Amino acid sequence: MRVRLLGIIGLAGVAAATGFGLFVVPADLNQGDAQRIMYPHVASAWLAYGSFGTTALAGIGYLWKRDLRLDAIAVAGAEIGVIFTAFAIWGGMMWGRPVWGVFWQWEDPRLTTTALLLALYVGYLLFRRLTDDPARRAARAAVVGIVAAIDIPIVHFSVEWWRGLHQGPTIGSPDKVLNPSAPAQFVIALVGMVAAFTLVWLYLMIRRYQLARIEWQIEEHGRLGRISAARRAASVSTVGPAEEGLR
Amino acid sequence: MSDVGFVIAAYGVILGGLGLYAATLLRRLRVAREASLRIRREAEAAPPPDRPA
Repeated sequence: MRVRLLGIIGLAGVAAATGFGLFVVPADLNQGDAQRIMYPHVASAWLAYGSFGTTALAGIGYLWKRDLRLDAIAVAGAEIGVIFTAFAIWGGMMWGRPVWGVFWQWEDPRLTTTALLLALYVGYLLFRRLTDDPARRAARAAVVGIVAAIDIPIVHFSVEWWRGLHQGPTIGSPDKVLNPSAPAQFVIALVGMVAAFTLVWLYLMIRRYQLARIEWQIEEHGRLGRISAARRAASVSTVGPAEEGLR
Repeated sequence: MSDVGFVIAAYGVILGGLGLYAATLLRRLRVAREASLRIRREAEAAPPPDRPA
């Protein structure tokens, strides 16, 4: 019930933040209406970082505690992170065409490393399908999730480390948070969208975690059923039909 | 395409995608819960396993 309430509040928040960003905030002097795309784009990008960071932390936790609940958190983070990364890329492309004149540029480090991040975690999800054993799968996936997370700081700092089309962070340091260069209405729209998306993200994470737990139980039941069937078959072949008849 | 067209395309895909993913996730969760319940009922209804003599 509480989770459902969280979902409803998140949905209402996204609707309100969208209305504010589209109809209340004025168009940017230089970028025009395209500026409005920044709100869901930035929110998606931050939540993608958060999702993959969660996957990496849950992976470290799994390797330490060997608790499959942590693996369920890791897979939830990876799947939802892939979704939000795709949204961030799409939003960036829709903003880039009117402002930069191009949808995409492979020479830009931010764009390329973000595409790599998406590929890494799609790979993580595919990698999980390679083995049936939950413990082995969780351990291997944890390592992949931790290694892939190395790309998160590279994506984030790429705009400072290398030159490219992508601008530097508008709000990235404590000084910029306290004294943002953007007008107050723009910052409110951005923070509001991030907050609303975060609630939806939390709701999806909880639901995906619940799904992972149930899937694991179903899988475990099937695995135990196969083991018990194999044992029965082995005992019948060892006893033999003649001895079986004497019983 | 005008700026407004790009704004509509961006918001449409992101918000529509979010809604579609949420709906798909809830459907997957419902199907998994039903399967889990069915397995539990079958396990309860099944006869106890043979014990060795």
